[in-house]
Amino acid sequence: MEILGFLRPDGQVGIRNKVAVIYTVHCSMVVASKIQRMFPENTQLFGYPGGCALRDGPVNKIVELAKHSQFGAALVVGLGCEGAEAHMIAERIAESGKPVEAIKINEEDGDIRTIEKGMRLMMQFIQHTSMAERVKMTPADLIVGAECGGSDATSGLASNPTVGAAADLLIRDGGTYMFSETSELLGCADALAARAINAEVAADIRAAIEEAEKASFAHGRFSWGYGNILGGLTSIEEKSYGALAKSGTTPLQGVLRTFRKPDRPGLWIQVGEPASGTFSGDPEGINQFAACGSHLAMFTTGCGSTTGGLIPVIKVIGNVRRPGLIRDNADLDTRPIINGEQSVEEMGQQLYDEILAVAAGKLTKAEVLQHYEA
Amino acid sequence: MKHQAIKMHASDDVATALTDLSAGDTIHVELADQAMDVSLVEDIEFAHKFALHDIAEGQDILKFGLPIGKALVPIKAGAWVHVHNCRSIHFGFHREQYGLKA
Repeated sequence: MEILGFLRPDGQVGIRNKVAVIYTVHCSMVVASKIQRMFPENTQLFGYPGGCALRDGPVNKIVELAKHSQFGAALVVGLGCEGAEAHMIAERIAESGKPVEAIKINEEDGDIRTIEKGMRLMMQFIQHTSMAERVKMTPADLIVGAECGGSDATSGLASNPTVGAAADLLIRDGGTYMFSETSELLGCADALAARAINAEVAADIRAAIEEAEKASFAHGRFSWGYGNILGGLTSIEEKSYGALAKSGTTPLQGVLRTFRKPDRPGLWIQVGEPASGTFSGDPEGINQFAACGSHLAMFTTGCGSTTGGLIPVIKVIGNVRRPGLIRDNADLDTRPIINGEQSVEEMGQQLYDEILAVAAGKLTKAEVLQHYEA
Repeated sequence: MKHQAIKMHASDDVATALTDLSAGDTIHVELADQAMDVSLVEDIEFAHKFALHDIAEGQDILKFGLPIGKALVPIKAGAWVHVHNCRSIHFGFHREQYGLKA
């Protein structure tokens, strides 16, 4: 199957072709949203819904999101008095070579003028983006993320191992892969350190998991409850290993601590910059992968999260008690593993084929249902 | 259904039930080119685990090729493996915290 990507000025190649509309503070969110909604096709809204103070983590994240390979241009909408200053953010985004402009409600003297100016800029951006050159991509050009949300027993038994098998295939073909959620990897430090490519990476992953463990003890909150025990999980370690199954079997290349692309192909673990979460939760996890360059993400769920994110999300579900959820929201149905009809290896190949199809243009169900949570 | 239980990794001491299983059932467990038959000595609920062979007291119990806990007592092949006879190595206190009786 041929994958034709969209070439950007900085040499990145994207699998989707859109224009970004960004708000720099909660106060400019409504105006930014109105501008974006005037051009509902192939545009996406995201930003920093916080207040006046400049916070590095969230700002770094939205800059990297705007520089993402799926965006051909970006419009930054600010109020004018906030710390996350719109022109400063636009300059950083402009390093990618793509067209970027910043407008401020205060400078334009109110909402209506800002919307008018924004709309004219969006017209230019959309036309420019539509002329992006198409170039061939191979699996080696792809960066893929994976997370789990709303997990149940089927996640650890079927869906996560399937993700790990697909990841192994992607990496075999030269691709790059990342997963995250160190708070779900308590008890996995030894196993991951043993797979690290060198002592430094081993120390990095031990430190990252230890931090998550300390935070869990400090808050008295572990991702563990009576429901897990009733559901068959005997220990936090067993639950974590179920999450770890997403990692496949290849060596660990490193831990991503800032919003940047991995240096080389293979398996990576992504840990976000401190306090960089905006709305938080599962969509936040997807968007952090995007901020690290991921073209798309796999998302396993049991109980049934239907969310997406700014990048295409491939939903992998094996819950035999939720056929409606699977019919409407699953891109890969892993019930055949639970039903004992297919192997993890067979389903892993199917999931890898789906990754390539989505890269080539197939819309995931989350995209069709407009799950562009930001 | 083709398989009634799943073994995650070649070195595992346990398999996980893919459906409710009964004491006395003989379960055929396969992984790649390994295969074995295990007679259950207890009922095993969906997503719960049973021992593939005898496990000694104090032994690390492996699933996904990694230790999920230590055996609190000797465990026979085909027996249910769960919080009553398997203790988390690092986080054992959580069993008490949730008041689960063995």
